[in-house]
Formats: sequence, structure tokens, C-alpha cells
Amino acid sequence: MYTIYSSTGCTRCKIVMQRMHELGEPFEEHDIKAAGKEAFQQFYTANRKAIYRGPDGIEFPILTDGDSITQGLGPALARLQAGDRLRGFFRIGSLHKEWLDGIEVSGGGPEMAEDFLAVLRLLKKNAMKLQVSSDGRNAELLAAVLQQRLADKVIMTVLGPPQRYAELAGESIVEDEIGRSIQLVAGFAERQFQTVIAPVRGDDGGWRYLTPDEVGETAAWIERAAGSKQQPYLLRLFHNDGGNPDFAKLEPMNSSELFPYRSLARTYQVKTEIEREA
Amino acid sequence: MSYPTVYPTGATVYDPDRCWNGYTIYQANELGALLVDMNGACVNLWKGLHGFPNKMLPGGHVFGSLGVRNPAHSMQDQLDVVQVDWNGKVVWKFDKYERIEDPGEPPQWMARQHHDMQRTGNPVGYYVPGMDPQVDKGNTLVLCHKNVFNPKISDKRLLDDTFVEVNWKGEVTWEWACNEQFDSYGFDEAAKNILARDPNFRPPGGGMGDWMHINSMSLLGPNRWFDAGDERFHPDNIIWDSRESNIMAITSRKTGKITWQVGPNYDQTLALRKLGWIVGMHHCHMIPRGLPGEGNLLIFDNGGWAGYGVPNPGSPKGIKNALRDFSRVIEVDPLTLEIVWQYTPAEAGYMMPYDANRFYSPFISSAQRLPNGNTLITEGSGGRILEVTSDHALVWEYVSPFWGKQLALNMVYRAYRAPYEWVPQRDQPKQVPIPRADVTKFYVPGAAAPTTLLQETTVAGTQPYRNDSRVLCVASVDEMK
Repeated sequence: MYTIYSSTGCTRCKIVMQRMHELGEPFEEHDIKAAGKEAFQQFYTANRKAIYRGPDGIEFPILTDGDSITQGLGPALARLQAGDRLRGFFRIGSLHKEWLDGIEVSGGGPEMAEDFLAVLRLLKKNAMKLQVSSDGRNAELLAAVLQQRLADKVIMTVLGPPQRYAELAGESIVEDEIGRSIQLVAGFAERQFQTVIAPVRGDDGGWRYLTPDEVGETAAWIERAAGSKQQPYLLRLFHNDGGNPDFAKLEPMNSSELFPYRSLARTYQVKTEIEREA
Repeated sequence: MSYPTVYPTGATVYDPDRCWNGYTIYQANELGALLVDMNGACVNLWKGLHGFPNKMLPGGHVFGSLGVRNPAHSMQDQLDVVQVDWNGKVVWKFDKYERIEDPGEPPQWMARQHHDMQRTGNPVGYYVPGMDPQVDKGNTLVLCHKNVFNPKISDKRLLDDTFVEVNWKGEVTWEWACNEQFDSYGFDEAAKNILARDPNFRPPGGGMGDWMHINSMSLLGPNRWFDAGDERFHPDNIIWDSRESNIMAITSRKTGKITWQVGPNYDQTLALRKLGWIVGMHHCHMIPRGLPGEGNLLIFDNGGWAGYGVPNPGSPKGIKNALRDFSRVIEVDPLTLEIVWQYTPAEAGYMMPYDANRFYSPFISSAQRLPNGNTLITEGSGGRILEVTSDHALVWEYVSPFWGKQLALNMVYRAYRAPYEWVPQRDQPKQVPIPRADVTKFYVPGAAAPTTLLQETTVAGTQPYRNDSRVLCVASVDEMK
């Protein structure tokens, strides 16, 4: 049986509980602002490392079956839909109120397309506005999302130039598929292209950041695939999350170092801007 | 304000022995960049070369721009910044700041430059001994426009001011945006309220709020304050002023944060009250090392109308709520805010407040410190450029003879004095004194001599005149103090 930790007035929590009702899924609710406060405190103490606390606090609802802990609206509905199989597609987001992000079209295999789309339909049925992300993989799934009007905004991360894509994606890619995704996103009203100036292997085998020339090639690829130089394109700083210990040796970049990247990228995408540090 | 219909233009006063002699460059309205000598001879006109402003560079080069964006779509955006040689060849150009597609216009890259630019080697853009700006290399700091939305300021589209550093290849290497430091500027609630409603909303482009209107941007350069350990005045930091908000500030080149600021209000401390309200100012800069007064700030305090705050009879909504109808040039110690030197209507010889508006330019204008301690002042709205000594003697005066057809003004945004050696293409011109004419004997053909009496009649019983400013219809400045 599921236990759901909710918060009084939390709309997202209600959506999840309503879904469990529809599925006939038994659950026990602990409202952390009411009678469930102490229960949550015990749960949180015991599972602190597994619970994400963002700058705005802890994201609710938190769903647990005793073995797994799932946090956030998207992940919770995905879990109810397909257990663990949709895990890469949904993660905790950062948007609030009616907007939901953390929806990764490229987050898993295409065989999960139907379950993925089912969760999006459920979210739309509950009047959520969806910001979906893609890095170009699963172009046909992206096409279905856009065709079925299951997205309100699309963020496409073009990881790098074609010759670096597999390395940055961590798996082999089909260049045409990435191009197709670029084309799809370019035709969507609320869109944003972006590239993170990420670490790649240098010729000497060491790590270095993507170069301005490589970002220029990325911008050129967007131009070719989109057929336009006018795409909103953001260059972003790499934030080391500790996933690769080798990256600790790389000096973090700051915004002012992105100007040469912007200058080159603007040759192909005239609206290129750079991320500003907070 | 009494302004005669007929008056001489060109050079009208010139004392070669007391001037810092050289050439003067300015943008002649709707004509081009004009270089004149001390007698007002037009030495070179770069015809059609815009300039906001024009600045001389060594070797007879000049900064300017090739054109301006259609004012239907934005305000005062110069298409580019160009460096042009003596013969008109463009030797350097920057325009790749923003790709613009205006309705009915060809798409093009634009610099969107306005009001100022600086080249490596010289912090302020005018002659300083030992600090020549580079002409064949170096970076250029450019004051540009960018349209932004910032809900902290207003829900309206803003015309923001940005500082952009550009390398010799024309690539942007650094950028700072004024709106991003909004929280630092110290606007009170009254100011924020009117800013939100009306951030100086102007019509072009469907409307945009020219909320700060920065009109001056320069480097501090080496200075005694930094040498003494005050990091706020790092030589790479940038000093600027905003005519709409009455703010003067210094931005850290390294962090983008504000390290020093005066304004927007001038009544909060004794030092500020003694300084007095600075309204709609132009050309706030630090006098560079090597010039008399180095380390002090030189400011053209326009007066006119500017500021955001509490409504008053002169400003029913609270926008442009600080008003004054005369100008002053002030040299200020940036630490104590004491006025070290000034040129106001009083020093110009006008009785205040009655004749104060005889030294008055409510917009544009500038002040340049010269190597001999004189100051070259542009009283811009009337096209008047004057050189005054440290004891306020007028030793050179020039009035632009060029009125525009589109704008019926002979306005001069900023004039700069450059040394003769910066123009190797010309021999040093003759310097012919122009004594100050006695205006009581200065009259035009056809007019009777104005002081020659055809008859003088004595009236018995008249008393001597007793003119005393204490009994004029309005109080004198001293009375008001």
C-alpha cells in the first residue's frame, strides 16, 4: 500500500490522490501541515538522503510503497502508470503553480511512448501547463507530444556539434533524428534551444570544455535543421553535480567567458544569448 | 530668457595666450563631424558622418557612426561605431551587437550605440598627456541599448543601457546591463511607484521606457583613491550617469556591482545638501591622472527636468520631478562630495537667479578639463562651446552656425578639444586674437547706433538710481539661502 505525504492545499498532491482513487490503489495520506506532521518528520529523518530539498523547500507529494520513494507530481504519476519503467522521463522540476517541468522526452526508450503520453494526457486533463525537454533523441515521441498538444513549452538542449553528440549523450545517436527534433522544436511557438558548455575529451585525452568553434558548429547545425537563423538560443554554464570525479579538476567557467561563444554562435543564430549567473 | 534673434556665430571670443590651443571636434547638426580651429575655421568636415559623439584620435582619426536606426523603431540607436581616418576611410567598425529586423527596413546588425564610447589607452575619450587612445589596436567600450523586460521595474518594455566591450575584431567580450542592478540604486517607494507606471515611456517601436538614459560612460583610470587602497575606484571600473534618475555611479568591471553612487536623492545627508541637487546631468567622469584636478569628478549638471519621486506642481505625476532652470559645471571630490571648483551662472557673471538661465542647457552638454587647468564647456542646446580658466575668465567662445532642417536647433551634443599634433595632416593654424566685443556698440547694418543719443533731456528733481537686488520682484539666491 502506498503512503503519500502531502501538504494542505497542495493541488499536485490532490491530483496524485485522485489518480490513486481512479486506479483503485489503496493509500494512506499524511498531511504534513496537519495530523501527519510527526509522521513526516520521522520519515524524513529516516530517508533524508533520498528526499530532494530545493531552494524553495521540499517538493510534494512524496509517494512511498515502503521500498521506493517518489517525489513530485510527474514522477508520482509516472510511477502509478508504469512503475519504474518511466523513471528517466520524469524528474523533480523547478516550476510552480500550474507549470510543470522535469519532463524529459529523451529520458528513456521509445517503447515506453504510450505510457509516457498517457501521463502527459493525465497532466493536461488536470489543467497543468507542461514544459517538456528534449536533447533530440526520441524525435518521433516528440512529434507525438507536439501533435497531440501535450506541451506548452519546449526546451531543446542541443548537446553539441554532430561529431561530439554521442560522447555528450553517452550513447550512439542518429544525426538525422537530432536534426528532426530541431526541426520540430523550431516550428513550435514557445520554444528555447540551449547548449551547455560541457566538458568533452580533448585531443590529449584530458577534459576540456566545448570550444567556441564547436558551439559555433552547433549553432550552424540548428540553422541547417531549423532553416532559420532566428531561433532563441541560450548558452549555459556547466554546473558540476559531482557525477564525474574527473570534472572536479576543471575550473568552473563564469558568464563573462561565454562572450566568445556567443559571438561565434551569433553568426548562425542571431538571437544567441548567454546565461547570467544569479 | 532673452535670446536675441540675431547674434554672431563661429568664434566670437579668443585669447590665444590664455587658451589651451588646439582643434575642436563636434557633430554639426545634420551636417557631419566638424573640426574647427581656434578662430572657427572649418578645418575638416567629415560630411555625413554621424557622431554621438565624435571624438578625435591621434593621427587625424575620428570616431563616429555611419547612420542611425529609423527613430520610428527605437531611440538614438547608432547603426555602428566606426573609426574613420583623415580622408574618410573606415578603418575600424563595430556593429554586431544585435540583429535588427524593423518593419520596412532591411535586416542588419546594429551596434545600437548611443552617447559614448572609449578606446583602450585613454579612460575618458579626450586628450590626456601620456594617455593616447590606441588607433590600430585595442578594445572599445561602447554604451549601447537593449530592450528588456524587468517586472521589478515595470511591466512595460524597457530601453535599457548596456556597457559592451568589443575587441579589435569587433567581437563582444564583456557586457553589463543597467537593469540587472536595479535593487542597488536606492529608489524609494515614490520613485518605484512612478517608475512602474511610467518608466519614461517614449513612443518609438510601439513604446519603450527609457528609464535611466545613461549618457556618459568612462573608465576611472589610474587614480589616487585606488592608490590609497580604496577598491571602489579600481582603474578598470566604469563611472556613468543617468540623466533620468539623477544617479551617478561606478560599476565594478570585475563583479558588475555598484561600488559608489550619488543620487537619486540629494537631501539625505549634509554633504548631499551642500552639493545640491544634480538634475539631468551629463558627462560625469573622473578627471584623469595627468590633468589638473585629477581624481575629482567633473559633471555638467544641466538642471532642466529629471528624476522620479513625489509629485509636485512642476511634476504632477512624479516623473521628472526635480526642476531647475540653469546649469552648472561642478568639480567634485568623490569622497567628501565637496565642490572643489564650479562654473555656474554666477561665475559666468550673471546675476542669480534673475539671469541664471543665461547659462543653461537642459539637455546634452559636457565639460572637458584641459592640460593648462582650463575647462572646455559645451552648453549644448544653444550650440555654444566655451573655454574658461580656473578663475572663470572666458577665453574662447564658439557658437555653432549649423542649424538642422529636421530639427531646427544648432545643438552640439559634446565638443572636444584635441591637440594640434593629433592632426599631422595640417600645419598649425594661425591663432588670431578675437577681443570680446562691446555689445553696447555692436549693431547690424541698417540699425541706428544704439547708444548714440539724438537728444539728452535733463529732468529737474530726479533722484539717483538705487538698484539693489534685495528689492527686485523676486528674491536673490543669497536671500533664499
